[in-house]
Amino acid sequence: MSIFRLLASRILFSALTLLLVSILIFLILEALPGDVATRILGREATAKALEVLRSQLHLDQPALVRYFQWLGDFLRGDLGTSIATGRPIADVLGPRIVNTLLLSLFAFAIYLVLALIPAIIQAVNRGKMIDNVISVITLLLLSLPDFLLATILLFLFAVAVPILPALATISENSTWQEMLRAMVLPAVTLAIMMAVYAIRVLRDSLIEVLRSDYVRLAELKGLRPRAVLFRHALPNAIVPALNVTALNLGFLIGGVVIVERVFSYPGFGTLLIDALQLRDIPLIKATVMISAAVYVAANLAADVLAVLLQPRLRISR
Amino acid sequence: MTLATFISSRRFKVDLWRATPGPFKVGAVILVAHGLFAVLGFFWTPYGYAEMGAGLPLSGISWQHPMGLDQIGRDVFSRFMHGAHIVLLLSFAGTMLGMVTGTTLGLLSGYVGGWFDEITQRIVEAMISIPFLALALVMIIAAGPALAGAPVLIVFVVGLVYAPRITRIARAAAMEIATREYVAVAELRGEGTWSIVFREILPNAANVLLVEFSLRLSYAPILIGALGFLGFGIRPPTPEWGLMISENRNLLIASPVTVFGPGLGLASLVIGFNLFTDGLSRMLGQRPVAGA
Amino acid sequence: MQKLIEVRNLNIAYGGAAGWTNVVQGVSFEIARGEAFGLVGESGCGKSTVAYRLLGYGTINSLVQTGEIIFDGTDLLKLGATALTRLRGDRIALVPQNPTTSLSPGMRVGTQVREMIATHRALPQGMTMEARIVELFALVGLPDVGHCYPHELSGGQQQRVTIAMAVACNPDLLVLDEPTTGLDVTTQRQIIQLLADLRARIGMAMLYVTHDLALLAQIADRVGVMYAGQLVEVAPCEELLSAPAHPYSRGLIASIPTTDGAERQGRGLRGVLRRDQMSTGCKFEPRCDFATTACRTMPQVLEPVTDARSVACMRWRDVVAPQAPVLVKRENKKIIGEPARLLSVADLNLSYGRPGLFDRLLGRTSPSVVRDIDLELYAGEVVALVGESGSGKSTIARAISGRLPPRTGIIRLDGAALAPALKDRSVEELRQIQYIFQNPDASLNPRRRIRSILERPIDHFGIKVDEKALESVLENVGLHAGYLDRFPEQLSGGERQRIAIARALLVNPKLLICDEILSALDVSVQARIVELLRSLKEKHAVAMLFISHDLAVVQEFADRVAVLYRGELMQLADIATLLDAPLHPYTEMLLEAAPGLRRDHYVSRPPAFPVSKAIPGVGCPLAGRCPRQVGSLCAETRPPVQVSDNGFIRCHLAADELATHASPADHSDFAGQVRSIS
Repeated sequence: MSIFRLLASRILFSALTLLLVSILIFLILEALPGDVATRILGREATAKALEVLRSQLHLDQPALVRYFQWLGDFLRGDLGTSIATGRPIADVLGPRIVNTLLLSLFAFAIYLVLALIPAIIQAVNRGKMIDNVISVITLLLLSLPDFLLATILLFLFAVAVPILPALATISENSTWQEMLRAMVLPAVTLAIMMAVYAIRVLRDSLIEVLRSDYVRLAELKGLRPRAVLFRHALPNAIVPALNVTALNLGFLIGGVVIVERVFSYPGFGTLLIDALQLRDIPLIKATVMISAAVYVAANLAADVLAVLLQPRLRISR
Repeated sequence: MTLATFISSRRFKVDLWRATPGPFKVGAVILVAHGLFAVLGFFWTPYGYAEMGAGLPLSGISWQHPMGLDQIGRDVFSRFMHGAHIVLLLSFAGTMLGMVTGTTLGLLSGYVGGWFDEITQRIVEAMISIPFLALALVMIIAAGPALAGAPVLIVFVVGLVYAPRITRIARAAAMEIATREYVAVAELRGEGTWSIVFREILPNAANVLLVEFSLRLSYAPILIGALGFLGFGIRPPTPEWGLMISENRNLLIASPVTVFGPGLGLASLVIGFNLFTDGLSRMLGQRPVAGA
Repeated sequence: MQKLIEVRNLNIAYGGAAGWTNVVQGVSFEIARGEAFGLVGESGCGKSTVAYRLLGYGTINSLVQTGEIIFDGTDLLKLGATALTRLRGDRIALVPQNPTTSLSPGMRVGTQVREMIATHRALPQGMTMEARIVELFALVGLPDVGHCYPHELSGGQQQRVTIAMAVACNPDLLVLDEPTTGLDVTTQRQIIQLLADLRARIGMAMLYVTHDLALLAQIADRVGVMYAGQLVEVAPCEELLSAPAHPYSRGLIASIPTTDGAERQGRGLRGVLRRDQMSTGCKFEPRCDFATTACRTMPQVLEPVTDARSVACMRWRDVVAPQAPVLVKRENKKIIGEPARLLSVADLNLSYGRPGLFDRLLGRTSPSVVRDIDLELYAGEVVALVGESGSGKSTIARAISGRLPPRTGIIRLDGAALAPALKDRSVEELRQIQYIFQNPDASLNPRRRIRSILERPIDHFGIKVDEKALESVLENVGLHAGYLDRFPEQLSGGERQRIAIARALLVNPKLLICDEILSALDVSVQARIVELLRSLKEKHAVAMLFISHDLAVVQEFADRVAVLYRGELMQLADIATLLDAPLHPYTEMLLEAAPGLRRDHYVSRPPAFPVSKAIPGVGCPLAGRCPRQVGSLCAETRPPVQVSDNGFIRCHLAADELATHASPADHSDFAGQVRSIS
């Protein structure tokens, strides 16, 4: 199969997945049996409040019509209007997404370093002291809930040794140094949370590849260990880790919800929480759709990258 | 080595302790300790978990209050003790629900294939594409205030978040096992689908599923804690640990122990689960699949 | 002769949970410049461990070793990592066992060869790297495939790449680790021929590690036989094969199936190599037919007995003494009267993969992998279906068993047409056809005890049996009741295959389909399963469709043979006719390529019209490869089926023409040398 056909079919499947996601979200939020407004606002809600929500959600129309209306608007780029603020969702979301994107990029850069180096050290020294030590550390970090890790880092570097700001509040007038300083703690938290998974996967796959026939032949060709590791082992070992990285991006989107909350970072995650607390259905739908789209895109990218790294995948699949 | 032969082997009976990997042992000890603590906390706590004015709020660590007191004067240790069984039960029930649903769906989908598999996989794919925390939160919102904070809802949400992920693992295992020749032998004998799934495939997928269960169980307290932390979990004043950490977070400067006490409890429970999983997977010759 | 490398008293032991395991014990041998030395033995005998030590390679963890490996005046065992790195590839190079997994999957093969040359700065003066790489590929008979990824090449081509890589720096010693295992027989012979050719041209020494003595006969000057970590015999190749002096060598040679038409009683070796069941004396004692009580306590060491030969056996004189070969001419049992027709397959066409929605919309159909198969099986008869890997022989078996509904064609059992799909067949029909699979490791559910594995079909088919049924069926396949409570993983491969056979026999089938049931087993175990099958055939009068790539094994008990090539039957004949006068060019090719126990200087005959290749389903599938191709006719029209007295031939050439224009080689000679076809 040519790489373009592969790519085309992958994109098609991704689009299908997103379509299903939209159906799922709509089903969960608006099409469960019973009156949507009462279910969401509770029985104690005033008749007026219920009426307002009903009209905002166009509940007088059948569910199918509402779904296609929403989907059509969404595809045209009209994300709807926030109930809570009355502003167009695109305007509310835009700056938040930019903030979260900055934070994610920062976190991702730290993640790459944090994941690759320990895994390589472990695989090369498998079975030795350093391997075990790193294994124990990753296991401990793996067991720390993200909200706890964030709180610990906050306590250590903002309370006990106050070198970094506790609240990562940034605004349009912050200088980039301020922004960078504000983002250090949340970004490090996110990076650690992602890296612990990747380290374990990369270590295992690297060890497996180091035991493979082709690495053995490369060694017996008389290649220097560095060449064996970087030219033969790593490119093949990285593929499983790529999938984890894609999964991790999904985690990152969930993780920002917690981490942004702990550090009061004005990003996408805090917006989602606010929307949920205010029962702002259109905003919830929009944010969840976008986070699913990011996840799907990340997986698509990982798949394509895997195929580029491993030519033999082009024939199977 | 399969579990069945492992247990029936003499070595197992003679020195089980020495034969099991180190992490498994440490993990098991931690989990047993947590279990005993949870049972104790269910029957007895030094103060009532919702009892206000057990002491002076924010008075720090003392023998009477090893984890200090919270803002409204509740004994944090008593709350922590009472919370232990809640965290454990919710985690088990939620994971179990996900496991039963995911395993059944996944094994069937992987073995039967065809349209059934295609449809199942597309739905699973879509569910996994929604970040799990977002999915959980949306479901809680959709359930509405009437159900919000009810243990049943939390169990249901954990199960539903886990089910598609477990389905994937079970499906992959089933697909691999379905190519083995003993499955072909059963097919050639004319055995039915259910018989093949439960007689031939399930026992051979058991290792994978056991490790998966253990892995998911490790993460359940974190997921439940995160919901509590964000204010969408168990209804206060029930002392779920994530909720406690969230409640006491503004005491971080005044009395850090009120945060890190429950935090340590939560972390040690997850460490116990993770060590147990790690050892179990080594014993069963499986590799736990990382990634939430 | 000048010594190139000398191994002196090499001992290697691994440490494990159960203490130290001696993998290699007191091994000594040397290889002269330009000499080809073969190292042979069953799996697990330590031959590969020795070979990899010659490259300074081995698991560093938990290993102790003593002895020396002197190469060019230095001891390789004492060499540092950097010095070893410099030596590897440059002076001692490896040709690995499995080229498919040994080439880096993400790197073009040209780059992998370039890497070798660049690392050792071995580019000849006045030559560009590109030219050198093309030259190396040409040397191993490949076109310029440098831009290809490994997965784009066939197994044989991949192995040629690794050979090109190994000789790129003109090494003094080439270590070959089972380099042809897993290749088709014709490819296998071409690789061996290539190696012999390279040796003549470049003059390097070789250490050739294999389990296959017949292959060594083609290439090795001297051979060392290893058993349980020890060398038990070292001798010049011809001498060893004609008059083995160690009982183990003797057993190994006897295990090789040949086609001399003789039936040897109890041929081959008893038991399998088990390191936990060894006497303190000679390690081979538990399996030895010559053993005396002294053997149990007295360790045997390798001692020179003649100029060129060393043996580790005190009874070698008795062993080497020529024995009257027990040649029992097999009587061709003709079944009296017209036998009942059991199975008939007519006009069978098979293809994999149901067309997807897109394919159906575009009117695309997947090509047939098996075409126009007509086959009949009589009650109590054994028909062998022989072909290279990928020829479709297992596919046919799948269709007969019902696991692959055919595209067209009818399968009849006892005259009644069978439903194409498994789910539409009656329980009784399912019972009558039993299937035994290739891989005994996978055909028994590892989570069930043998008892439950055997009881399930009895329950399922509702067969009435007495309490002793399980025990007696186990006895039938050479096992005892003690096995009933074991799990499959507690059994050896051969024992598992016996259980699989027992399971099939329990339900009294009329037809057994044996799908490559020997190929996953060691040679000595194969020999004993063949004996079992032969006795079962006589006792139970069950018909068998025996699928194999191994003509030699097949000839030992098949009545008729069907030769399959790329999904089409080329020839059907009874076994004697096939071996004496193969007639069909493809059958000839197969017989020629099979290595015998004598060096035959085989050169594959070139195809007559290499460019005129057949399109599947249009012409003869052999077109483009056939040495006797008539011309474009073969590629363009389907060859006619010519019925003979006990079968048919599918060829454009008439039978008498085929017979008169026979290949230069003498068939009867090949008939004595047949071995495997894969």
